[in-house]
Amino acid sequence: MLGAFVRAFRTPELRNKLLFTLFILTIFRLGAVIPAPGIDSVAIEKCVQQTAETGASNIYALINLFSGGALLQLAVFALGIMPYITASIILNLLTVVVPRLEALKKEGQAGQSKITQYTRYLTIALAVLQSTSVIAMARTGQLFQNACIPEEYMPFLHTSYELPVLIMIVFVMTAGTCVIMWFGELITERGVGNGMSLLIFTQIIAEFPAGMMRIWSENPAWVFALVCVAGVVLITGVVFIEQAQRRIPVQYAKRMVGRRMYGGSSTYIPLKVNQAGVIPVIFASSLLYLPTLVVGLLGAETDNKVVDFLNTYFNPMGNHPVYLTTFFLLIVGFAFFYVAITFNPAEVADNMKKYGGFIPSIRPGRPTAEYLDYVLTRLTTPGALYLGVIALLPMVALGTSGAAANFPFGGVSILIMVGVGLDTVKQIESHLQQRNYEGFLR
Amino acid sequence: MAEGVRRLLGKPGSVSLQPYIKLLKTIEEREEALRKLSDAELTEVATELGNAELPYDRDDLAELCALGREAARRTLGERPFDTQLIGMMALLDGHVAEMATGEGKTLTGALAAVGFALRGQRVHVLSVNDYLARRDAEWMRPLYTLLGVEVGWISQESTTEERRAAYAADITYASVSELGFDVLRDRLATDVSELVVPEPNVAIIDEADSVLVDEARVPLVLAGAAEPAESDAAMAELVRRLRPGIDYKVDDDGRNVHLTDTGINVVEKALGGVDLFSAEDTTLLSRVNLALHAHALLHRDVHYVVRDGKVRLINESRGRIALLQRWPDGLQAAVEAKEHLTPSETGEVLDSITVQSLVLRYPIRCGMTGTAMAVAEQLREFYELEVAVIAPNKPNIRIDEEDRLYATAEEKEEAVVEKVKEVHATGRPILIGTQDVAESERLAKRLRRAGLECVVLNAKNDAEEAAVIAEAGTYGRITVSTQMAGRGTDIRLGGSDMRDRDRVVKTGGLYVIGYGRYPSSRLDDQLRGRAGRQGDPGGSVFYVSVEDDLITTNLPEAKGYRVSSADGEITDPAWKEMVNHAQRIAEGQLLELHRNTWRYNQIIDVQRSVVLEQRRAVLHEDLGSRQLAVDCPETYQRLVEEVGEEEVARAARLVTLYHLDRGWADHNAFLADLREGIHLRFLGRRDPLDEFNRDAVPAFKGFLDEARARAAEMFEKLEVVDGRLDVAAAGVKRPSTTWTYMVQDQPFSTDLENIVGRVKNLMGRD
Repeated sequence: MLGAFVRAFRTPELRNKLLFTLFILTIFRLGAVIPAPGIDSVAIEKCVQQTAETGASNIYALINLFSGGALLQLAVFALGIMPYITASIILNLLTVVVPRLEALKKEGQAGQSKITQYTRYLTIALAVLQSTSVIAMARTGQLFQNACIPEEYMPFLHTSYELPVLIMIVFVMTAGTCVIMWFGELITERGVGNGMSLLIFTQIIAEFPAGMMRIWSENPAWVFALVCVAGVVLITGVVFIEQAQRRIPVQYAKRMVGRRMYGGSSTYIPLKVNQAGVIPVIFASSLLYLPTLVVGLLGAETDNKVVDFLNTYFNPMGNHPVYLTTFFLLIVGFAFFYVAITFNPAEVADNMKKYGGFIPSIRPGRPTAEYLDYVLTRLTTPGALYLGVIALLPMVALGTSGAAANFPFGGVSILIMVGVGLDTVKQIESHLQQRNYEGFLR
Repeated sequence: MAEGVRRLLGKPGSVSLQPYIKLLKTIEEREEALRKLSDAELTEVATELGNAELPYDRDDLAELCALGREAARRTLGERPFDTQLIGMMALLDGHVAEMATGEGKTLTGALAAVGFALRGQRVHVLSVNDYLARRDAEWMRPLYTLLGVEVGWISQESTTEERRAAYAADITYASVSELGFDVLRDRLATDVSELVVPEPNVAIIDEADSVLVDEARVPLVLAGAAEPAESDAAMAELVRRLRPGIDYKVDDDGRNVHLTDTGINVVEKALGGVDLFSAEDTTLLSRVNLALHAHALLHRDVHYVVRDGKVRLINESRGRIALLQRWPDGLQAAVEAKEHLTPSETGEVLDSITVQSLVLRYPIRCGMTGTAMAVAEQLREFYELEVAVIAPNKPNIRIDEEDRLYATAEEKEEAVVEKVKEVHATGRPILIGTQDVAESERLAKRLRRAGLECVVLNAKNDAEEAAVIAEAGTYGRITVSTQMAGRGTDIRLGGSDMRDRDRVVKTGGLYVIGYGRYPSSRLDDQLRGRAGRQGDPGGSVFYVSVEDDLITTNLPEAKGYRVSSADGEITDPAWKEMVNHAQRIAEGQLLELHRNTWRYNQIIDVQRSVVLEQRRAVLHEDLGSRQLAVDCPETYQRLVEEVGEEEVARAARLVTLYHLDRGWADHNAFLADLREGIHLRFLGRRDPLDEFNRDAVPAFKGFLDEARARAAEMFEKLEVVDGRLDVAAAGVKRPSTTWTYMVQDQPFSTDLENIVGRVKNLMGRD
């Protein structure tokens, strides 16, 4: 792989693409540490530290993770890529419901670019909404669990120009989101990899050094070493399983190609062990986020039985076995569900039959569908268990040591990281193979 | 103003014409001076213009334009309009000129060709068919002769000598496919003297959008005879007994056939209880499938005819017998078995070329067409061409009526017949454009039944049809034609000699009726453009029905319209918009197909260029004998002493080329195989294109070394017979005949991307 990178940099066109991507990512990181106007950066830094030290459970942790720590810094790019992702998810769902959008989607590129345009508008709307709520929470101190005084990091509060400055911050953050959106598109267009995924990737990675530092300073050295080793082992394992696939050979018997024989078959259906990807984990996390929301809505009084119940069994920070088991079961369930709705063996078998393809020693039609179903089930079982374990492992292993909150190798982040990383490397390789394969030749 | 903003933004189709327009006055001044010169002096002026390199400076450009104008006036009796000169200058700058029908694109292209040729460039003018290549070359010949440049043309029937002579001329007219096949055949040459096509310089592409976009979707394929095929009469007999619908099923589009479960059992039993789907032997199933394909999908006198004991293909889109075309991969033999004929030898694909790579070989490219703007972005993306929009010499006054939408096909037909009756009563000439040959015949029959005499054209014979379509503007004439028929021929009002023009003008000029919208708005516009030539009056209207293929294939779920009147017409604007929507879907799919052809061919092109470079070195620089002298020094020495250096070099060249070509054909077959099933990779969340590249690269690794090793191996075995090295005995075979097919005629092409699209749909992702 290292060799591929060296070759990549020797190809002028690809080198430019890579450098361009890095350049955009750098600016992106820069914007994530520049505070919005009116914010006292020294004070807010201290505030973040304080909040982390109190160990108060932060319900914005996930959002903060996706913004690369920019959110709690009230940076220019505080909102990160989230509004855009939310907007694309919403529009994707709407295409199923709204006939006009569905019609557009069918028109191919031209229609797709119109949908993209709508996504952009929606992103701006969401960004305005989200930045307003973030600013409102920052103003009351809620953003930091009331661990510090808002007037310290927002020195303009209670002055005559409070309102204009607040409006300006909303404005700046919204503009920041638009710029990020543009960055993502620029990378997709002129760089390598999928821009949006790479931006998320960068944001997750950006939190790494800080997390590691915290572990280093707060724990004995052997814990740090253990975490490092565990991290490497985990990532290796994830890469291994993400790459794992079962190849079901397929033959197309429609032509007589004569005397030629090739070693091995190049036609096969690759079935991944983890066919569902990271989606079940995200689904499960968001579903389990609901109890926290309910608690927030009902207020934290302990005499309410529902709140009490939820707090005991479904507190994300509590690591109660019930919570962990539910999480695990949800992930496994979603993994099966997702594979079931996205891969229909009967239709695949039908399609193959129609074009003269078959799996050797299996008859076309129903037997083929049954065979595919059988293999898929046997693959998805370990795949789903693997997803659950990866997502839970950090919580279980480090739950008692108190390092879980700071452990940077969270299940979700590792899965996303590895996924995006692999995709990007594959793309670079594909570029190489398409353009400059002389490097491979001799 | 708006134009300026577009240009600033780099929108396609915004090439500035200002510099050309400014030159027009100077050109007219120069023209006056040139009028006084004799023909010989004019030729002299032209020759002098050639004493410099491209590009033309403004002074020379003005001179060239004036010269072209004067020469055209003298030789063709046509003084080019300002718009034609502007078009010519745009071509010289390497743009695609959009000029409406009847604006004189042929002359514009010819003038540009002169411009390039005078400055020492070899110009190839590419047209859509042989007839146009020949007609245009002959038509423009006097102009070229006067200006001192030679012209030649090529058609399907041209011999190798004729081709070589035509290519030797300064300007060569050829159809894209002929040029492509010449290029492909050159890649099989084993001796420098066999080469036909010279180095590419300048390509001027007539009907640029048809050639560069529509035809670019299908590669040109060259196949060669490999070995005699075995007759599979038993299998043909077996499938003949199968019952359609019960034992096998044919797809709705008639492109695929497959055995049902019952059919599988019947076949297995008839073959003596074998397992068709065993892992060990798949040839049996292939044989069954081929026989079934020949039996169920290919019909005598529709897809082929039997003549002189041979199966001859009928080109579906043109409806005539295609010379030098055969079915690939065993299908030919299967059809021969079906017809109880002796099998001819099997063929294999030797090489292929896309229109894209064919055109991109030329360092200078330009073209002209009536409808370029709609594909301006594609021209830029795939060919790095910009579009220059040239306003018509006289404004267009054609009246384009709104589409008429009907619920069923019968109601549409009824309405069209009524409309034709009504318009025909006034004597106004009518041109009806249909989707395909079968439809035009059907409609013509229907019109005749209604007492309306009509002429039918269906692209069976380009030359005859050009003559027929030229008369389509005659008073009271009804012409039914496919979109393709009679391309490149103008329809003049009042007949080709315009004798009756005034009377026809009074009726309102040519009335074009589109019998259904085409899969792209460009094709619609081309049909409309038949009327309203050079400021003529004219009208156009499209009749559409909800049962048209365009709508049923692209919007299968479209239902629930409300019929507005008793004759089945739908006037609901939302439904009329549906038609446009269906067309946009079709356009999107075609673009996707084009882009995929291009993307999948990129890696193949790179690999091919490696092989071709090696081939060139062997052919021209004796690389073969140099390599073999190193690889097998002893044999080489011995042979040189025995038969002399020259003979050894010849044998070395043949042996080396044989293994290069052999290896390339094998690699090609591997890639075809790979691509056939690559869409399945999508099921594992992999990008099929990436996967294709990932597999194609390692397969090519060591290609040259292996070919070299094999050549050395064969070289060791060479024997001397009568003082010559007998390469044939050692195993060097050349294909005894070659033939061609376009992949659209290839029955196995299943529109890969359609499958991928379908797979994607069922996976619910984009």
